Amino acid sequence: MTDDETLLLLSAYADGELSPGEVLAMERRLAADPDARAMAERLRALSNTLRGTLAGAPAPESLRARVIAQIGFSDPHPSRVGLRSWLGSWRALAATLLVGLVGGAALGGGAAYLDRPGGAPDTGEAVLAGHLRGLAAPQPFDVASSDRHVVKPWFNGRTTIAPDAPDLSDQGFPLAGGRVDIVAGIPVPTLVYRRDRHVISVTVISATDGAAGEERRDGSTIERWHLGDLTYWAVSDLNLRDLRAFADLFRTRTGGQAGLRRE
Amino acid sequence: MTTLARARFSQLVLPRLDEGYRLAHWLTGNATDAEDVMQEACLRAYRAIEGFAEGNARAWFLTIVRNTGYSWLQRHRPRAVVFADDLAPAARAELEIGGALTEAAETPEATLIARDDAGQLARAVEALPVAFREALVLREYHGLSYREIAGVTGVPIGTVMSRLGRARQHLLVRLAKEGR
Repeated sequence: MTDDETLLLLSAYADGELSPGEVLAMERRLAADPDARAMAERLRALSNTLRGTLAGAPAPESLRARVIAQIGFSDPHPSRVGLRSWLGSWRALAATLLVGLVGGAALGGGAAYLDRPGGAPDTGEAVLAGHLRGLAAPQPFDVASSDRHVVKPWFNGRTTIAPDAPDLSDQGFPLAGGRVDIVAGIPVPTLVYRRDRHVISVTVISATDGAAGEERRDGSTIERWHLGDLTYWAVSDLNLRDLRAFADLFRTRTGGQAGLRRE
Repeated sequence: MTTLARARFSQLVLPRLDEGYRLAHWLTGNATDAEDVMQEACLRAYRAIEGFAEGNARAWFLTIVRNTGYSWLQRHRPRAVVFADDLAPAARAELEIGGALTEAAETPEATLIARDDAGQLARAVEALPVAFREALVLREYHGLSYREIAGVTGVPIGTVMSRLGRARQHLLVRLAKEGR
């Protein structure tokens, strides 16, 4: 017999939202109580089915077109004029590039990139722009495959690096595919993973400058780490905890050590 | 300035149209109304874009969609939001009497739940009061954490937890009944 309170706790347990103490108590309870186990199983089955039921057709293209047209003709409320320096204008450029790509006019963007003032290109900005371009496109990847033996060779001849694409689906991060991003004028490989509705882009760049670490930009989280002479950039709007877990897992599976830089 | 606002809009909002649309769809119940809500939400997001500094762009945009959806419901289906904070009385009574779940445990229910060929589950979700429906969609479809759902819907985390628990309980009861 499972009462209301047990059901609430089981439901939060399934969502990973209980405190560590509550989790322990719940696991002991589950071990001892077959009714609670049966209810936990029903909740799990319900969640799995709901994911399919709640998903549906994506927004119609006509909506996207109407929104873009609507924004094109209306100005935001004139408030604080941006005090941003060239960084702001670079952001604008990056996004113009994005719009350009969506509209199918990709050529101007590359030129804008090279013309950017301020010396060495900001790798993080370029990696993030690649991720966001992926999200804006119909698919966030150029080659769709959950098979690591397809994705890795696909990069041969397209980029100078063909990164290992570890299979992390057993941990809830299925491989979705790969795409080529441009960072500092050079094509670089990006692996695309999914976590539920989230897209994780892992861009691999042959450089070891810049410290490993994490940061937030424009609502996305970026984790980066080094392995050999490569730097890995993972970008997602996933929450920080899950993205860290992903990065640790990825490092472990690619031969790196997890949690090296973690205090 | 306009260029910057548009640039940020295309960076922060355009990639999230599909997610916003799905929420609007489940709030309003159909594609046409969802498009109306989304168009208005995008305009609101554009006007507010300079106020968005750093943080979770996704939750920020979903909050705008959600609030726009609620205004739309208030205008077009005021009854839908009246019972927003609770299950309809009939459903409530059904939950309090209970029993349905313990009986159902004897049927191979997991198999029944595992497929939704007849769309029973979709209809059961549609029948949920809007406050329960949005919590469920934000959790199961958008994958938001309780804290994020609390932020988007403007209620305490404890309320999110209880709405999700009760919404699921309600769905299980409905499925168990229809499966018999």
